[in-house]
Amino acid sequence: MAHRLRAIWPPILIAVIFLGSWQLLVFVQNIQPYLLPAPSLIFTNFFSDVSLMWAAAFYTGTTAFLGLMFGTLFGLVLALFAQRLAIVNNLVTPLAAGLAAVPIIALTPILNNMFNITSRTPRVLVTMIIVFFPVFVNVTRGLIQVIPVQLELMRSMNAKPSTVLRLLRIPNAIPFFFTALKIAAPLSVIAALVSEYFGGPQEGLGSRIASAAANTAYGRAWAYVVASIITGLLFYLVVLAVERWAAPWTGQSRSA
Amino acid sequence: MSDTSVNVTGIWKIFNEGLPNEVTALQDIDLTVETGEFISLIGPSGCGKSTLLRVIADLTGPTRGQATVAGMPAAQARKDQRYGIAFQQAALFDWRSVRRNVELPLELQGWSKDRRRTRAMELLEMVQLADFAEHRPWELSGGMQQRVAIARSLAVDPPLLLMDEPFGALDEMTRERMQNELLRIREETGKSIIFVTHSIPEAVYLSDRVVVMSPRPGRITDIISVNLGSRTEDTREAEGFFNAVTAVREALRGRGPGSSEARSRIGEI
Amino acid sequence: MGQSQKMSAVSRRVKRGTISAGWAIAGALLTVIMWELVKLLGSVVELPFDTSDTAMPNVWTMIAAFSQPEVRGSDVTILQAVVSAAAYSLMIALGGFIIGVSIGLILAIVMQRFAFLERGMLPFVIASQTVPLIALAPLIVGIGNRFSLGPVQWTSTASVMFIAAYLAFFPLSVGALRGLQAPTATSLELMHSYAATPRQLLFRLRFPASIPYLVPAMKVSAAAAVVGTVVAEISTGVRGGIGRLIVEYARETTSQPAKVYVAVFGAIVLGLVAAGLVTLLDMYLTRNLPKESPA
Repeated sequence: MAHRLRAIWPPILIAVIFLGSWQLLVFVQNIQPYLLPAPSLIFTNFFSDVSLMWAAAFYTGTTAFLGLMFGTLFGLVLALFAQRLAIVNNLVTPLAAGLAAVPIIALTPILNNMFNITSRTPRVLVTMIIVFFPVFVNVTRGLIQVIPVQLELMRSMNAKPSTVLRLLRIPNAIPFFFTALKIAAPLSVIAALVSEYFGGPQEGLGSRIASAAANTAYGRAWAYVVASIITGLLFYLVVLAVERWAAPWTGQSRSA
Repeated sequence: MSDTSVNVTGIWKIFNEGLPNEVTALQDIDLTVETGEFISLIGPSGCGKSTLLRVIADLTGPTRGQATVAGMPAAQARKDQRYGIAFQQAALFDWRSVRRNVELPLELQGWSKDRRRTRAMELLEMVQLADFAEHRPWELSGGMQQRVAIARSLAVDPPLLLMDEPFGALDEMTRERMQNELLRIREETGKSIIFVTHSIPEAVYLSDRVVVMSPRPGRITDIISVNLGSRTEDTREAEGFFNAVTAVREALRGRGPGSSEARSRIGEI
Repeated sequence: MGQSQKMSAVSRRVKRGTISAGWAIAGALLTVIMWELVKLLGSVVELPFDTSDTAMPNVWTMIAAFSQPEVRGSDVTILQAVVSAAAYSLMIALGGFIIGVSIGLILAIVMQRFAFLERGMLPFVIASQTVPLIALAPLIVGIGNRFSLGPVQWTSTASVMFIAAYLAFFPLSVGALRGLQAPTATSLELMHSYAATPRQLLFRLRFPASIPYLVPAMKVSAAAAVVGTVVAEISTGVRGGIGRLIVEYARETTSQPAKVYVAVFGAIVLGLVAAGLVTLLDMYLTRNLPKESPA
């Protein structure tokens, strides 16, 4: 217990210092809200419009969630193929590396034209594509990068390739999967958010922030920003929790 | 008693044959291991001892020659699970408990859940780790992990055990304890063991015969018989032990009974 | 390593590069063929998406659009507009990358040196990445535009660079921290036995040891800087960069559908160029390290 407290207090201290100096700065310098609102102002704005916040967050969150699910599924399936068939790996992995710096979100207007702009589809699709790459790359690596001794062991036990996949490669890949998910989950929220800037239904967090800023309602804009932060954080924390349950051995120094 | 002899005839293993970086890891190896024998393979790095073990285990194929285990080709022996193997790394699966790690070969053989569990607990009793059955591999020390690996290698009760420097990563005291463990297990089960090591005292202490190998190209230079009878606490300090260790050391230096030096002394060449 | 072996290592790398380029071109050609095939299919069968020329212009229409004037009566072709916008974004991304990497490195050095700061700051460094900063982008631009330090006016462009730097700093600081902490206890004891000062320790042991960690981190940082720049431009409508161009051209799809495609290509090429530059940087930094054999 004492050990846990000891680990927690440095970040808490720094958070308190940060928020405290922010509040103090606004107060002392008399900074106008349109420039930089005080934490207290954001706080009150947030709680006065909670139902709106929640609705917008739910909308964007659903888009993000759908994109995350499908992108992850697609990434997993293709990774299984990539492990089995070298050609899939040799084609897709360099593609993933090459496209790493490409702003995939820029595809949204094209998808908006091809698919119905008033529906969620183009946004979910672009989120899906964005999520696919980290999942594919990491899971493929996890399936392939098995300790050679363990492969020898399986061979000595006359295990079929499908058995090796089931009993060795897949469990080995689980920590890699969660590494990818920890990147992909917050990323899906951002992607869903930004995809709202290309037109289409305006109920999401992205649209709300933009319109609030355009109407100089900065207190409201910041409140929506806080809602986005919470949504992103929630996605991440859920992944952490699932990881702790599904892969408790992650991060342990490997057995010899 | 089932036939557990290992027969290696004319085995060659050449890596990168025909290429500029060609390496002859094994040259014309002939070796017979009798039922119930404990054989050590010893030699400096590159002498091919681990490669020979892997050829016998059918983890790699020979370039020429053949190996048989219990009268059948090595590949068949592997399919029929006629041997268990332990490596220098315990290679336990982090995502399984200790018990389920020991159950792994049994799962692959299609044993039922209850039967597997019973057998795994039996084996863990044998290596005195029954209390740790539900622990995770990383919670155990190196020596304990290695004991689990040995228990796993005994799971299907194979007549032959192959071991590739299993105690290499352990400290001296743990090593000696593990050596005694291994001998005790062998007493109880009567298995043949082929043991790769580069510790001379270990080879002498454990084996009936010590096979000395040398590198470039990998070949057998001497086979030294060790006749020390039952091993006790005093064996390591007995004169016979020192003599055997000396004999092996001399053989490693190229002055063993099979060497040209020895043979010229005897007048053979 | 012999001189002849060194030569073959370089020529092997060039060979591998050409093969990759070959695959890339093949991939691009395949995409073009697929595109036209889908359009063809769409004209005969009912597909769940729009395959008309407005939604999916033919590839040759897109190429023809390169040389069309951007705005009626203008001298500037669409291609020129896209290239200059992409170059502008690249400059911003580069600036953001350099700033982000510098801050990331400093942060990592500080966190490695003082364990208390590592414990205090690392959770925030990690949490900072779950913050969709892009959500904040319009507000940052808003705040920034009212800022001025004496004669220097903060521009919207600077806000975009700031965002790029923010996104670039995290992967680098985490990678750099891991790298600085990488030296084994044995190497540290060796340096202590030489009575090395903290500074010598940093420059002679920790930095060189961290290169294998810095290199992949820099790749991620560069990607983050580029994507961050373009996305920030999209979110804020800041002029000059490719992001704004995409948003603008997207509004003209009924009249000139091919325009937005050219802009999107521009963004893709921007990303590829950035990835290529980082790879060159990578090759330079690891020139003296043993080459890993392919997995």
